[in-house]
Amino acid sequence: MFLMLLWKEWKENLWKLGFCGAASIAFTIMLFRMRIIPDVENCFLISLAQMFIVPVVYSLDIFSGEISNRTIHLLFKIPVKRWIIFFSKYLVSAAGIIFIFLASSLLMELMARGREASVYFLMRTNLLYGLAGLLLFTWFCPFGCQSRSEAGSLVVMFAVFIGWGIVLLWSGVCEVTWAERFVPYSFLLLTMEMTKLKFTGLVFSQIIAFAAVLAVACYRFVSIRRYL
Amino acid sequence: MKIQGIIHQQICQFKWHLLACFGLIMVLPIEEALVNFKDGLGFRCGSMVLVSIMFSPLLAGLIACANVQGDMDQKLYIFWRSKPAGIKLLVSLKFFVGLTASLIIMTCPLIFWLLSGNIIDTNSDILYSIPLSALLSIMTYSLCFGCNVLIRSTARAWLVGMLLAGFCLILPFILPLNYRDFVSDVIFGSRVYYPVIMLIISAAAFVFALFAAQYDWHLKTNLKGLLWVAGGLVFVLLMLFSSQVANIKVLQELEIEPFMLGRNDLDYAGDKVIFQEHNYVDIDNNKISFSNIDSNPDDIAVPITRPEGLEEYHTRDYPGRDKLIKVVGDNLYSFSILAYFSRERIDREGKPPLNRDIYEHAYLRSYKYTVNRWIPICEIDISECLTDHSYSQIALRLIDNKIIAIINNSFVLIDATNPEELKRLDTKLDVLKRPMGYIQERRKEFSIPLVPVEGIDIEDRIKLSIDLNYQYEGIDERSIVDIHDEKISFFLASYYDDIRRFDVTGWDSENIYCKLSTARPFTILEHMSSVYLGRVFVKNGKLYFSSKNTLLVFDIRSGDKIRKLGHFIRMDYSIQDIAVLDDDNILLCMRWDRNLSNYDSSEKNFLCLLKNPG
Repeated sequence: MFLMLLWKEWKENLWKLGFCGAASIAFTIMLFRMRIIPDVENCFLISLAQMFIVPVVYSLDIFSGEISNRTIHLLFKIPVKRWIIFFSKYLVSAAGIIFIFLASSLLMELMARGREASVYFLMRTNLLYGLAGLLLFTWFCPFGCQSRSEAGSLVVMFAVFIGWGIVLLWSGVCEVTWAERFVPYSFLLLTMEMTKLKFTGLVFSQIIAFAAVLAVACYRFVSIRRYL
Repeated sequence: MKIQGIIHQQICQFKWHLLACFGLIMVLPIEEALVNFKDGLGFRCGSMVLVSIMFSPLLAGLIACANVQGDMDQKLYIFWRSKPAGIKLLVSLKFFVGLTASLIIMTCPLIFWLLSGNIIDTNSDILYSIPLSALLSIMTYSLCFGCNVLIRSTARAWLVGMLLAGFCLILPFILPLNYRDFVSDVIFGSRVYYPVIMLIISAAAFVFALFAAQYDWHLKTNLKGLLWVAGGLVFVLLMLFSSQVANIKVLQELEIEPFMLGRNDLDYAGDKVIFQEHNYVDIDNNKISFSNIDSNPDDIAVPITRPEGLEEYHTRDYPGRDKLIKVVGDNLYSFSILAYFSRERIDREGKPPLNRDIYEHAYLRSYKYTVNRWIPICEIDISECLTDHSYSQIALRLIDNKIIAIINNSFVLIDATNPEELKRLDTKLDVLKRPMGYIQERRKEFSIPLVPVEGIDIEDRIKLSIDLNYQYEGIDERSIVDIHDEKISFFLASYYDDIRRFDVTGWDSENIYCKLSTARPFTILEHMSSVYLGRVFVKNGKLYFSSKNTLLVFDIRSGDKIRKLGHFIRMDYSIQDIAVLDDDNILLCMRWDRNLSNYDSSEKNFLCLLKNPG
């Protein structure tokens, strides 16, 4: 049953993969071919745009679509635990996000390998931005899993972006290092060597936050009561 | 139809979206103001206003989608179409009401910035980005509006609209309009095509929306496939006809033997370049080769003897890494200042001791290249310039056949027509004024002390004075001054800020008067990736900015803006030296830097021939 749920989500969200994948690949090819700005700047620019847009696309109707289309009550009638439904949605979205970043990072590396940047630098940078994007999407889940409209999901996703931006600014200005560990944008600072945090330490903190957020999101999705 | 009523209805319809956008755009400036207030700097904001304004095109797209969806939602749309309403008038009113609202939202951070007590600096980053953000907002609004009329789904229309806007941003670089620099050509608008293209796209999107609404065009499944194919074809065609825009082309990259760090890498000798003091670099058909410097084996120069009593002294020579070379017939001569100093140890209570260098002797030397060696052949004692036995500045410049040797605030003018027999022409002690500091108030006219050297052209004097004031090393080879069409300008690169052009407005017997003319800021991306404190020099109407692993070339003559022409970046390399050749190509001496700390045998060095962009 879990596999069938995964297949359903995959089919429903295929346009997102197509749209984001095609846009990422088209812009990567265009910018790395034309070289208006250096490769490293191109990589930062594309990765930054992807980091904000890809999670938005996936968050739009992943949960709210079921409620606005009135299919959630059909979904909840399937003899399967609700947390499995939640994870099928989350896993398909996460796999899509990872796949898009993997494709664009590979393309960047192939097009500009060692040309201006160090070997694997572009790939590593793009993947770290992807990791930040995935974490931002994960942070969206607990707040957006009960959203009833695309507009509502969009507002929640923007709030997550801006909220973590404010935390990053605050932790930087007031030198609160422990808070910086939990900010998804810290991976960006890591690529630019603008933080004293170490990669392993950061990943450890993020894994703890990730597990907690996912648990809360799952709980909130399971406890949906009024859905029609 | 009652136009006023429709406008009122429209505003009421998306007031919540407007409030949400207002909140989103104001959150960062307000947070910055609060942080500043907490730090005792007053309730004022700064750079976050710029960030907020940069987000305004995204929000304009959101307002457009909300605006269209308010009335074009499938059920509502059927209702509208069943009424005897002028659909074109309705869509036009919707378009302009939403556009006005999005522009008003965009100005909110700016009004907050002004109200929070900031004084307008006409050159500030916030002001220069406003026209572009406004134009971008109009374009994204129009594209999202048009897409939403066609797609009828808020979020998807916003995404497609943004994708199209991103493509339109790159479009001028694909078209043959000679666009190269995003800052000068786009943000500063040194080329008018960009605003024109954006306005044409906006108008086209608006007209498209009118027709789409009138004829009820709606993106259906079969049309979707067609659009994907058309989009793909356009992309492939554009890629086929596009070319590389601003990267500096590498003509040849030659791996060379490891060379000594600290030795002279590339030096100018007339119209040729010398590598590592002993070989000419020959460029033929964009290929690099080396040839030995010819010297007559019979023409043996007799080295001068070192003055007695100086054995105990430490020495400092200038120019350190570069050589000031003069070609006379077939012979090569170079010049340097040799200063002798003793080191005094000053013990301090409770603190580590200090070393103080006491400069006591200085000589100007000329060298002749004979039998693979630079042999000192003539020397002039210029120790009298060390009036206070300290060291603050040593400089050397060759103008025609005269050498100006500067030590601290004194200088000696020497006739170098025959380098084997240097003649002192003039000595002036303690006449140079201290260099003025970095310019704080950039809009004010300021003055630079004019070096009181008699017997050289006024333009050379001005050039020397400016270089002496702002360059702390390398003025023997490089200059930051550009003289063109009787107009004198000079250029400074400030740390993490911008490249500025100052025009010389006049001069008298003591001072040169200058004023800021223009500045080309480094973008956030340039800061993130490559720009560190670098050196700047000007040659043949182009400005060269080089930092550790980056070379940026700017055009400084073809307009009133400083315009980037090209970039060369090698992340793991460090640029050791640069020479601009007579054919305008660039020669770079580079070292592969990744294992610099190891100094192992695997280190690599390169000479790189680059095609000068422009």
